[in-house]
Amino acid sequence: MAIEMKVPAVGESITEVTVATWNKKEGDHVKLDEVLCELESDKATFELPAEAEGVLHIVAKEGDVLPIGAIICTIEAGGATASVKVADAPVVAAVAAPAPAPVAAPAAGPTSVLEVKVPAVGESITEVTVSVWNKKTGDSVSLDEVLCELESDKATFELPAESAGVLEIVAESGTIVPIGGILARITVGGSVAVAAPAPAAAPSAPAAPASSVDATYAAGHPSPAAAKILDEKGISAASVAGSGVGGRITKEDAVAAVKPASASAPAASAPAAATSDRTRREKMSSLRKTVARRLVAVKNETAMLTTFNEVDMKPVMDLRGKYKDKFKEKHGVGLGFMSFFTKAVCVALKEFPSVNAKIDGDEIVFHDYCDISIAVSAPKGLVVPVIRSAENLSLAGIESEVVRLAGKARENKLSLEEMSGGTFTITNGGVFGSMLSTPIINAPQVAILGMHNIVERPVVVDGQIVIRPIMYLALSYDHRIIDGRESVSFLVRLKQLLEDPARLLLDI
Amino acid sequence: MDRPLGAYSLSIAYMQDFDVVVIGSGPGGYVSAIRSAQLGFKVAIIEKYAVMGGTCLNVGCIPSKALLDSSEHYYNAVHSFEEHGIDIAKPKVNMGQMIKRKAGVVSNLNAGISYLMKKNKITTFHGLGSFDSAKTVKVTKEDGSSEVISAKNIIIATGSKPTILPFIPVDKERIITSTEALKMKEVPKHLIVIGAGVIGAELGSVYARLGSKVSFIEFADSMIPTMDKTMGKELQKSIAKMGADFYLSHKVTSAAVKGKEVTVKAQDSAGKEVEIKGDYCLVCIGRRPYTDGLNLAAAGLTADERGRVAVDEHTLQTSVPGIYAIGDVVRGAMLAHKAEEEGTFVAEVIAGQKPHINYNLIPGVVYTWPEVAAVGKTEQELKAAGIAYKEGSFPFKALGRAIASGDVDGVCKVLADATTDEILGVHIIGARAADMIAEAVVAMEYRASAEDVARMSHAHPTYTEAMKEACLAATAKRSIHS
Repeated sequence: MAIEMKVPAVGESITEVTVATWNKKEGDHVKLDEVLCELESDKATFELPAEAEGVLHIVAKEGDVLPIGAIICTIEAGGATASVKVADAPVVAAVAAPAPAPVAAPAAGPTSVLEVKVPAVGESITEVTVSVWNKKTGDSVSLDEVLCELESDKATFELPAESAGVLEIVAESGTIVPIGGILARITVGGSVAVAAPAPAAAPSAPAAPASSVDATYAAGHPSPAAAKILDEKGISAASVAGSGVGGRITKEDAVAAVKPASASAPAASAPAAATSDRTRREKMSSLRKTVARRLVAVKNETAMLTTFNEVDMKPVMDLRGKYKDKFKEKHGVGLGFMSFFTKAVCVALKEFPSVNAKIDGDEIVFHDYCDISIAVSAPKGLVVPVIRSAENLSLAGIESEVVRLAGKARENKLSLEEMSGGTFTITNGGVFGSMLSTPIINAPQVAILGMHNIVERPVVVDGQIVIRPIMYLALSYDHRIIDGRESVSFLVRLKQLLEDPARLLLDI
Repeated sequence: MDRPLGAYSLSIAYMQDFDVVVIGSGPGGYVSAIRSAQLGFKVAIIEKYAVMGGTCLNVGCIPSKALLDSSEHYYNAVHSFEEHGIDIAKPKVNMGQMIKRKAGVVSNLNAGISYLMKKNKITTFHGLGSFDSAKTVKVTKEDGSSEVISAKNIIIATGSKPTILPFIPVDKERIITSTEALKMKEVPKHLIVIGAGVIGAELGSVYARLGSKVSFIEFADSMIPTMDKTMGKELQKSIAKMGADFYLSHKVTSAAVKGKEVTVKAQDSAGKEVEIKGDYCLVCIGRRPYTDGLNLAAAGLTADERGRVAVDEHTLQTSVPGIYAIGDVVRGAMLAHKAEEEGTFVAEVIAGQKPHINYNLIPGVVYTWPEVAAVGKTEQELKAAGIAYKEGSFPFKALGRAIASGDVDGVCKVLADATTDEILGVHIIGARAADMIAEAVVAMEYRASAEDVARMSHAHPTYTEAMKEACLAATAKRSIHS
């Protein structure tokens, strides 16, 4: 019995996908939910999990462009597996063996070593940083046990073991590894023995030259200059892959080795003791580098400017003061300002669609929905998770989404998906005490709202000077598609809605 | 209000302050000073003697090599020229000229070091350096005047002096140390050498070649006893050809001078006494770390029971922060090139770098002819450590170049790990062994296997082919020419 696997519908505007890479080969035995291949659309890369266990027959080759619904492959399930030649997949053999037990029995045959590589995690991600190893070299790991946490410039994710066995860590914590780079090895089916020295030159046999042996006793041995350089960089030789004969670490390898992000400041190479305690150098994290690159790109590639207004927060604060206990009781979540702003933004975006749009080549893409990105300060830096279809959510719905996403952000658990696809961003510099600022647009969006602190100021109401809690608002926008009239009106509309929240209810 | 403000501030202003002050200008000290200067430090170096260079240059390596070569030329003129087809009148030793030439070599290099100090803008102080505090050093000059200089970092590089046994009356005339042996006025008729270690073997062989009868008395059971046993055995065979006598496993009990005659008494392991008479006795029983007059106590330091200054293994810093020690005055082999490595090492440590020294791969060399050179583990050490090893040897007498040159005494011995084939030790005795050992150091720094070296092309005809052949033998007993 064969199951046909088709290109799934992945998004409303996506009509076709490209097969990027096959993780499995023709004839491989695959498990349910095992990732078969990667598909690429113009928006994102996604993985295709197996819908059933069985033997894979590939229909579409790498590079093929397929419409939604086209057949990618078939999986032959059931008894047929026994007759299929699984044996010629040397590395995955132990994992994929069609044995009744989930893992090949240790005694069944010689050990095989499985290389644990960095998986492809997203279209723009080229490297990851190993943040924490949950296991040590020599530990026994079981299938799907979390081995380590990887950090990309966009997200943090966990790496499960692809097989049971004995772990040997190759890339230490803090190492930056490219996609496809080796993180660790799992000796499958063996006991603890890790990489026994190759019997390169037994006296009896005419030995092969050392250079033809992959792993020798000298693998990872740094040359004298390399040892000094690595020490000064604070990098363990064990985390560097030697490119020299027999895996030796050459000076070039050491020069190219990247310092773990978490390590302490590098030793000063100059004698000036005075300067070394007044400055400190740190490698930028990949998140920082990406943020830096994108911010500069936005500044350079858009016609960005900012408009301001002020909001009397008294009505919202009064309303909140009156109902916050009841609200919490009923909805299980606190009533904050964020929900009012998000709701008001959704109403205003509907009225000024160009603020909720993006530029794609010569075309303007308007969004009939409001996916609101909210900037959250996470331990590793700024992240921007998205509240989906905020226009359809109640205030309580918005608040609970904010709480959920901020919580995940703090734990570095946000997925790529949760951070992509927003149509408009709200950032709140007020939590840090900002009076006024000019936020930078979160590309490819075209506008961003900056909230600020609430300060009691003297204002004139009906000819009288009164004290009111005032917040300044800033809207940075891309003047290429948003005119001054729209941007200013958008902000005025926001002011109107917040200063008289009943309008939100009445939709006026 | 007559406070002598001027005088007070002057004394402060006139104390010279340095980033690094090095005490001693031997191979450890001057290299450390140059490396420190290269790293941008303000550096001073203090030397007790009028000339720079320390023991190595003035009364050690360089002058002994100068004499070794002179004696070798003489020996060849007497013994080999005729065979090579060169007929000359019977040569004779002009000891005065030989010593004069040696002095010229030394002063040439003295000037070289002074030039290097100037070139690197290193301030030189001539005088006895002694600690005034942990941060200041007093330099007492020959005329009795003194000056105190201060330093953020102080490097002790005061070296070593020959060890003297209390019951041997060294008079520096008939019973002498290596220092006097380098400026003899005549060729001894019978030189008694107490101690057949590196220095005794070198100087003993100089005078054996110049025609002296030489008797070696050694407490251990072989020459150069700290080296691989094969080396001591081969060296003894070679020196014995020049008519030397050996009293191994003998303990010296007394030495006495009477007129021009020295009488040395010694006992063998069974307690049987021998009496040896000669006209000179050279005492070469080792060297002791030298910190006399350094006033370690003022810096809060003490020397250990063997006179050494204790240092941290990873930084060579003493127990007082900012004070370092290198070379013969600290643990480890007393070798100029070891001191040089440590000199560079400390300068870089002070600069915040993280240099390395692989002490296992500091070669040991004996400048006899044939020369002896070794690096890594000896066969005795491997046996004691229970490491399974393979041995490959190649004799110089099977080597084309050695036969052509007439230097056929010698053997190259390679010890490799029985499992991995990694080279663990290389021991060479033979012509130019001291230069050949460099190849072994490079190979071992990169953890080469015996087969790796065996597969590298070695120029023909050279002595280095002995290394290739010995590696072939170690790999799988497949040397080509034996």
